[in-house]
Amino acid sequence: MNDQPASGVAEAGVGPQPAGPGFALGQALPPALLYRRCDPAELPFALCSELEEAPGLIGQERAVEALNFAVRIRGKGYNVYALGASGSGRHSMVEDLLRRKAEREPTPPDWCYVNNFDDAQQPRRLQLPPGRGAALAAAMKRLVEELRAALPAAFERDEYRARHEAIEQQFKQRSEEAFGALQRGAEAKNITLLRTPMGLALAPTRDGKVLAPELFNELPPAERERIQHEIEAIQSDLEGVMRQVPLWEREHRDAVQALNRETTGFAIAHLMEELRQGYSDLPEVARYLDAVERDIKENVDDFLAPAAPEAGVPMPGPMLHDIEDARFRRYQVNVIVDNGRQHGAPVIYEDNPTHQTLVGRVEHLARFGALVTDFNLLVAGALHRANGGYLVLDALKLLTGNFGWASLKRALNAGQIRIETLEQLLSMASTVALEAEPIPLDVRVVLVGPPTLYYLLSANDEEFGDLFKIAADFEDRVERTPETTLLYARLICAMTGREKLRPLDRDAVARIIEQAARLVGDADKLSTSLRAFIDLLRESDQFAADAGKEVVGLAEVQAAIDAQFRRGDRIYRRLQEEIGRKTIRIETDGEEIGQVNGLSVISLGTLAFGQPSRITARVRLGRGEVVDIEREVALGGPLHSKGVLILSGFLGGRFGKNRPLSLNASLVFEQSYGGVDGDSASAAELFALLSALAEAPIKQSFALTGSVDQRGQIQAIGGVNEKIEGFFDSCRVTGFTGRQGVIIPASNVRHLMLRRDVVAAAEEGRFAILPIDTVDQGLELLTGIPAGQPDAGGEYPAGTLNQRIAARLDAFAAKAAELARLASGLGARP
Amino acid sequence: MNGPPMARPIERVVVRLDAASESRAAIDTAARLAARAKAPLHGIFVEDEDLLHLASLPFARQITLGADAEPLTTEHVELHLRVAAERARRELVAAAKRHGVTFSFEIVRGASESALAGASERDLVVAGGLARPIAGHFRVECRCWSAIEVTPGPFLLVRHGWSASGDVVMLLRDRTPASVRLLEAAAQIAEARDSGLTVMCPPALAGAAGFEKWLADRLADHPVRLQIEVGPAEPDALHRRIGELDCRLLAVGVGLAEGRGDRLREFAERFACDILVVR
Repeated sequence: MNDQPASGVAEAGVGPQPAGPGFALGQALPPALLYRRCDPAELPFALCSELEEAPGLIGQERAVEALNFAVRIRGKGYNVYALGASGSGRHSMVEDLLRRKAEREPTPPDWCYVNNFDDAQQPRRLQLPPGRGAALAAAMKRLVEELRAALPAAFERDEYRARHEAIEQQFKQRSEEAFGALQRGAEAKNITLLRTPMGLALAPTRDGKVLAPELFNELPPAERERIQHEIEAIQSDLEGVMRQVPLWEREHRDAVQALNRETTGFAIAHLMEELRQGYSDLPEVARYLDAVERDIKENVDDFLAPAAPEAGVPMPGPMLHDIEDARFRRYQVNVIVDNGRQHGAPVIYEDNPTHQTLVGRVEHLARFGALVTDFNLLVAGALHRANGGYLVLDALKLLTGNFGWASLKRALNAGQIRIETLEQLLSMASTVALEAEPIPLDVRVVLVGPPTLYYLLSANDEEFGDLFKIAADFEDRVERTPETTLLYARLICAMTGREKLRPLDRDAVARIIEQAARLVGDADKLSTSLRAFIDLLRESDQFAADAGKEVVGLAEVQAAIDAQFRRGDRIYRRLQEEIGRKTIRIETDGEEIGQVNGLSVISLGTLAFGQPSRITARVRLGRGEVVDIEREVALGGPLHSKGVLILSGFLGGRFGKNRPLSLNASLVFEQSYGGVDGDSASAAELFALLSALAEAPIKQSFALTGSVDQRGQIQAIGGVNEKIEGFFDSCRVTGFTGRQGVIIPASNVRHLMLRRDVVAAAEEGRFAILPIDTVDQGLELLTGIPAGQPDAGGEYPAGTLNQRIAARLDAFAAKAAELARLASGLGARP
Repeated sequence: MNGPPMARPIERVVVRLDAASESRAAIDTAARLAARAKAPLHGIFVEDEDLLHLASLPFARQITLGADAEPLTTEHVELHLRVAAERARRELVAAAKRHGVTFSFEIVRGASESALAGASERDLVVAGGLARPIAGHFRVECRCWSAIEVTPGPFLLVRHGWSASGDVVMLLRDRTPASVRLLEAAAQIAEARDSGLTVMCPPALAGAAGFEKWLADRLADHPVRLQIEVGPAEPDALHRRIGELDCRLLAVGVGLAEGRGDRLREFAERFACDILVVR
C-alpha cells in the first residue's frame, strides 16, 4: 500500500501540520489510514474451523457481571432489564447464561389444579415433587376406570340387592299397610278410595259402584250425615297417612343412601388405600384424596348409571364422549406444570407475552349451545412454566402485548400467579367465573429490550425500578485489538458450527473482521451485532455453494457484502445517475464564490449512503443576521439550526470585536426537498458564508463535512465513510479530474474504513481525503488562499482571506453607518 | 316395524286411557302392535263418571301429598280431566308418529265398561294395567277390570314397557276355537316382541295324541321359540309355577274366570306381568 499522498492532490494542501499519528493536517491522508486492514498473515489458522469456538459474546463483561449478580442475589425485585442494540446477541447470551446457571439449580415442583369439592368454582392447587403430578393424574384416571367397573359390580351383587330389596320392601310394606288398612276400613263402610288426577278421594258406594249424587240426595238426612261423618273420619286418617309419606320417603332415601355409602366404601376402600400409600408423604394430596373418597360415596350414582344416553336419542360420537366424561371430570387432575422431564430450573422464553400467555387462561367447551368450563380447562402461562426458574421476555413485545406488562407487574408484586380471564381482570364479566387458587411465584424475569425503552420505563413507570433493579447493559462495539480480533475469529468459528455453514479461510475471516469495523464506522472498534454477522456468514456460504466451493473465501465474503449493498441501493444509484445527468447540480470541478459541496447521510432500511449537497450563501447589507432558509421553511431540524447559530457566533467572535456586523446572510441546501438535521454541515455552511464575504471562490472539486464550534474548531461527525463514498461516486459519474477529494475533521480519521475502490483511487492519486482541525485550514484548502493570522491589534495581513472578510465587513459597516446618517437626516427634516 | 303381518287381521288397536292409570307404556305398546298389524290406532280417553259423581257430593275432598285436603268440585275435576286427556292425546300422537301409524282420538264420559262399548271383536284393546302410584308404591285398584267383561275381542293389560325382558306364557286348556284364538294372539305378540312362547297345558292335553302336531300347525305362520310345559292342576301350584317362569306376558282365555272381571283380577293380581285376555 502506498503511504505517500498522491502528488496531484497534495498540491492542494496547505502545508503539513502535525496532527494524529501518521498524518498531517491539510494533507491527503496516506491510503493506509483510509482503511485499517486485518492482515490474514496475523491470523494463526488456515481455516476457521481449526479454532476453538468462542465461549460467548465478546466485550460484554459489564452485562455478564450484572446478569451473574442478578441470578445470585435472592430477594424481591431483582429482575433484570438487558438493554442493548437490536441484533447484539442479548437474547442468546442471556438464555445461554441462564441455562448454565439453571442446570445447577433444583428442579421446581409440579403444579396441579384439582376440583374443590366444597366449591367447584374455586379450584384447588396442589404442589407435588417434580414428576409426581403426572403420576397422580394417571392414578386418578386409573381409579375412576376401576371404580366404573368395581362399583356397578358391587351394586349388582346379591348381597346388595337383597339388602336394597329389603329396604324397598320395608318401605312398600309400610305404605301398603297404612293405605291398605285404611282402604279395607273404608270398604267395610261402603266407601271406596278413588284415584283423582292429583291425589286420592273417598266416595260412598253401593253395590261396589260410586253413589250417584241423585241417589245420595234421596237418602234420609241421617244416613247422609252418617256417610259424611264416616268419610270425614277416614279422610282425616288418610291425611294422617299422607303426611307420613314424606317422612317415610326420607327415611327410605336415607336408608338407601346409607346402604350405598356402605357398599361404596367397601368397594373403594382398598383402591383408595393403595392410592393413599403412594402419597403418604404429601399431606396436601392426602387431604385431597379424602375429599375424593367422600365425593365418590355421595355421588355413587354417577358410576352406576349406564355410559350411553337413553336409547332412541341419537347423539354424535364426540358429544356422547363429552357427556360420559362430564360425570367424572371432577376427579381428574389437571397438571398445569409438569417438571417430570425437567433437569434443573427452567428457562422459558415467551415470544408473545400477553396477559393470557403469561398468567394462563381459562378455556371453555361448547356444550349444548353454552360455553362451560371447569378446573380441567385451566391452562398454564409462561409464569407457571418458569416458576422456580427464569423467564425471558422481549420488553417491546411485552409492552405492546395485550395487558402483558400490567399482568406481569401484578404477578411480581403479589408474588403469586392468579389465572384470570381478561373479563375478570377488567371487571367486565358479571357471570360466575372460575377463581382458581393462586400459585406462589418464585421467578427471575429478564426483559430484553432497547436502551430507550429502559430509560422511558425508569422515568415513567414507578413500579419499574422496584421490580427490575438490575440493568445489564450490552455494548454494541468492542475495542479492536489482536486479542479481540482472534476472539472474533473464534466467534465466526462458533457461528459457522452452530449454523452448519462451510468453514472460512483466513482471508475471508479477515474480511469479515474488517466489515465488523466498517459496520460501527470505526477502524478501531468491532461491531458486536451478531445478527449482521450471521447474515453475512449465511450469504457468503450461499455464494460458496453456488460456486461449488467447500471453503468460503475472500471472494465469497466480498460478493456477499457487495450484494447486500446492491440489494438496497436503488435510490442511491438513482441519485448518482441524476447527478451525472446534471438534474441534481453538484459541481465537482471549477470554482464558485459562496458555494461548497456539503455531505449528508441518508438511511433507507438497512442501507446508509452519502449524498453530496450544494450549499450556497449570499451576503448583503443588513443587521448581522444569518438566515437559515431551511429553518425558515420548517425543513431544518433543531440540530441544524443550532449549527447555523454556532457559525454566527464564530463570525461575531472573530470579526465583530472591532466593527458591527452590518450584514445579512442566507444559507441554503440547494435542491433539498426534505428535512435537514444534524450539524455535520455547519462547517460547510460557514465556508460558503466566508467565501461569499471574502468574494473568494471555493474549489468545487472538494466536498466537506464536519461541524464547527464558536472558536472555529472542526469537530467529528458521524457517517464519515458513507459521506466520502457518496462524493467519490458523484465524482465518478461527473468524471474524475485527479484534483477531487473530501475534507474531513481530523478527529474522524480513526473512523475511516473506506471502500476498496476509494482506497485504490487514493493510492493512484485520483482522490484524496484531507483532515483539518480548524476553519482556517479548511479555508486555505478550499480557496488556495492563506487564511491569515491576526496581529496584536487584531488586524489580518493584507491579501489573506480573513483580511478580505474583515474589509468586506468594514465596507458593510461603513455603508450601514452612511445609510443610518442619511436616514437620520431625512428623519430630522420637517 | 318389519316382519310379517299378524296372521289374523286386526281391524283397530284401541287404547283405553284415563286420568288414573299409567298410560305411556300402554300407548307405546298399542302403537307398536298397530304398526305390526298395519291397523289404525284409536285412543279413547275415559272421563270416569264416578269421579264426577263424587265431585257433586258436598263433602268431596281431594287429598294430595303436597297440600292439605282441598274441596273437590266438578269444575276442578273437569279441568284436571281435560289436562290429563290432552297429555294422553299428545303421547298418542307422538307414539303414532314414532311408529308410523294412523291414529284417532276421542274422549268419552261414562263408566269404565261403557266407554269401550263400541269396540268390536276384531279390535285389540290395550289398557294401562296400573293406577298411578301414591307415595311411590301404593296403587289404588285399576279401574279397567270391569271393561274386560264387556270387551268382545282380545284385551291386553299393559304393566311394563315394550323392552322389558321375558317370555310370553299362555295357559292352554283345550283345543276349542277360543283356545285357538288365544294361541294365535299369544303367538303374534311373542313374535312381535321376538320372545319365546311357553304353552302351559294340563297333563291330559299335553299327553293327547297329535297335540304337538296340532300345536305346530297352528303356529306354522309364527316363527317363535316354542316350549310346552305341563302345568300342575292344583291352582296354587300352577300360580307358583307361573311365578317361577320368566314371564313377560301371561295370556289367558276369558273362560278362566267365566268372564268375570273380579275373578280375573284376583287371578292376574298375583302376577306383575302384562295380561292378555282373549274371549
